[in-house]
Amino acid sequence: MEREVNAYKCRKCGTLHYPFRMVCKNCRANDYFEFDIEPLPKRGKLLTFTFIHNLPAQFEVARLGLGIVELENGIRVTGQVDIEDPTLGMDVVGNVEVVRHDTYDDRYGFVFRAA
Amino acid sequence: MAVDLEKILRPVDHPYPPYPAKYMTLASGETLVIRQATRDEVPTLLKHVAPLVFVERDYYDLVAARVYAELLGWYHHRMQDEYVLVAQIDGELAAIVNGRSVSPKRGMSLHTLAMRRGLRVGAHAFAAKMEYHIDILGQDEVLVVAESPIGFRRWMIEYQLEEVFDTAHELGGVPSYSLTRELFDRARNSLVVGRRPVPEDLLAKAHEAILPPSDPPTPPADLLAATRAKYDATGSALILQRWAQDRSAEDA
Amino acid sequence: MRDVYIIGIGITTFTRLEYPLSEIAAYASMGALKDAGVTDVDYVLVANMGSARINNQSALASAVVDTLSLTPAGAVRIENGPASGASAIKEGFMAVASGMHDTVLVVGAERMREVNNLEATDFVATLTHPMAEYIYGVTLPGHAAMFTRLYMEKYGVTERHLAMVGVKNQNNAMLNKDAHLHQKITMDGILDSPEAFTNNPWVAEPIRFFDCCPVSDGGAALILASKEVAEASGKPMIRITGIGQATDTLAVHERPEPTDLMAVRIAAQRAYEMAGITAADIDVAELHDAFTILEIAESEEVGFFEKGTGHLALERGETAIDGKMPINPSGGLKGKGHPVGATGVAQVHEIVVQLRGDAGERQVKDARTGLACNFGGFGNNVVVSTYARED
Ligand SMILES: [Zn+2]
Repeated sequence: MEREVNAYKCRKCGTLHYPFRMVCKNCRANDYFEFDIEPLPKRGKLLTFTFIHNLPAQFEVARLGLGIVELENGIRVTGQVDIEDPTLGMDVVGNVEVVRHDTYDDRYGFVFRAA
Repeated sequence: MAVDLEKILRPVDHPYPPYPAKYMTLASGETLVIRQATRDEVPTLLKHVAPLVFVERDYYDLVAARVYAELLGWYHHRMQDEYVLVAQIDGELAAIVNGRSVSPKRGMSLHTLAMRRGLRVGAHAFAAKMEYHIDILGQDEVLVVAESPIGFRRWMIEYQLEEVFDTAHELGGVPSYSLTRELFDRARNSLVVGRRPVPEDLLAKAHEAILPPSDPPTPPADLLAATRAKYDATGSALILQRWAQDRSAEDA
Repeated sequence: MRDVYIIGIGITTFTRLEYPLSEIAAYASMGALKDAGVTDVDYVLVANMGSARINNQSALASAVVDTLSLTPAGAVRIENGPASGASAIKEGFMAVASGMHDTVLVVGAERMREVNNLEATDFVATLTHPMAEYIYGVTLPGHAAMFTRLYMEKYGVTERHLAMVGVKNQNNAMLNKDAHLHQKITMDGILDSPEAFTNNPWVAEPIRFFDCCPVSDGGAALILASKEVAEASGKPMIRITGIGQATDTLAVHERPEPTDLMAVRIAAQRAYEMAGITAADIDVAELHDAFTILEIAESEEVGFFEKGTGHLALERGETAIDGKMPINPSGGLKGKGHPVGATGVAQVHEIVVQLRGDAGERQVKDARTGLACNFGGFGNNVVVSTYARED
């Protein structure tokens, strides 16, 4: 089964949110407490990136690539970047993988690679 | 027949090549010279190490006490194949690193003691020590341990050392990490810097005298208060120490 | 609303402190009480971010008010991330302005060096979005790095500009006895010499070690008072003329323009509006330079320079102590240090020192008005405040 990162669509005005919020930031409708869940697309453009060298203790690597990606539908996400020498604006494709080990639990999220 | 006990106790040092001095610019713009210390400089070094034995933070006390002992061991010929490198700024002692050779193929890193902080002097000196073992002595690996979390972060993560936990390190008998030639080559560009030869005037200044550190970590007003405070529920040892510090600050 | 004045200030040295957090807060408070010449207050606000997690102590305000023997005064801890300090000042301002209290102690304190650097970094990273940022390993330096890369691309800011901020602020800190870093740095040492990039390694590309503030312990305190109390105190009359606060999305990636710091801009506008002034009226500023890029970006968003030109003003020396718009004469977070909960209070401490004319070698000439920008999260909760000397 392919894993997804989900966005949340307002049932009143259709605005897509990522990450989840309780009230739509566009129409602020507060009479719909449920949103429609919609998987985010996987392809997008790399808006910015960094390689972090001083990481929290759970990450036993010397450096970790991170970036912000604008996906095909215009939604932006933060994710890990597994690209040796990235450039601003390059096409990337995301895969949902383990991004962090929290004591006994694995956390899943986007890892982007060159498209 | 009289037995010459000293001859038995005294190890025979192997003739290893000396460390060629180098120099570099620090973040402050000052110039750091790293060179090999001589045995007759040990008493001067001891004088500058001794106050750090009472600095009860970042494991300065533990590291300084051990460096003191290792320097004495070298001075009195009770340690085999030990060497000491000193890092100096304008003559002033900025860091001491030491180690020894276990065999022609294996080095043992002992300590890194920085007297100037905030300028990565300790990192430069440690890198010089690794350079000595791998490049100058031609050893295949150096065994390393960290006694402080800062040291662990810096050496184990930055250099990504290999675990050789079946070998006890000479410091405390704890499991060793190994800096291999391969790891060193990978880290070389980012960590090992310095220029050679050292200009004559700079080198002369460094050899002329090992001057006292200008801004070393200072022992607290009340020696060993933190150590005693472990058994003092109200922390009065630390409170007394703070008052003493406030008084001396007001006097100044 | 009543006018509110600052009649007392106190601070600890920012460094690694070996005594309990509540005593760090109390130490700074005693300085402020003594400076104001008072032994009693109506209300105590304690700004702090990490006591429960880092120092294993919750309800810090109760401990501080008791340590100072100020009971039964009301006491509240304010936790608002790195903007806790200025948020507490704002609450204290409202308490006096409303007429509810006449004398309020605002103290900020943090003891972060009790844990190692890795834990401290992870602790601060918990202010990011838990699901959309934190899980990926995002840290504050990481956010600042991604922001810096965009700023470089869009406005032509270079590593040299970043280093210039670091050199300026760390060298200003040399003139401040309470600052954490008393270590001169030079462009040659951190940027130009063959060894520079080993001296100044990456923290999060393109941000380097000397682009980041140190992790510090420390406390700072202010006594806020009504006009009547302030006049009776005989202290210089330094009034809080404006306070503005604004928020932005928790996840940084959600912002429409990623090089904007909207919350800084709006908080500044709100403060100016309340004070009835513009950016041009400010003589000295303390900006939240946890990373060098932030001093440049904030100097634009609070209106000192046009967007995208802060680095050019820096190049011209306008932000130096003797420049046209002196920024961070105290050394800023970069040089003075960043005990998170104390920072917002310490910024105002410096403004008061400057407006009183007590800053010695780092005194900004004829400073009569000041501004402080306390930047929480990565720009998602910001307080800007303005001050004027009236006597
Ligand atoms: Zn909606």
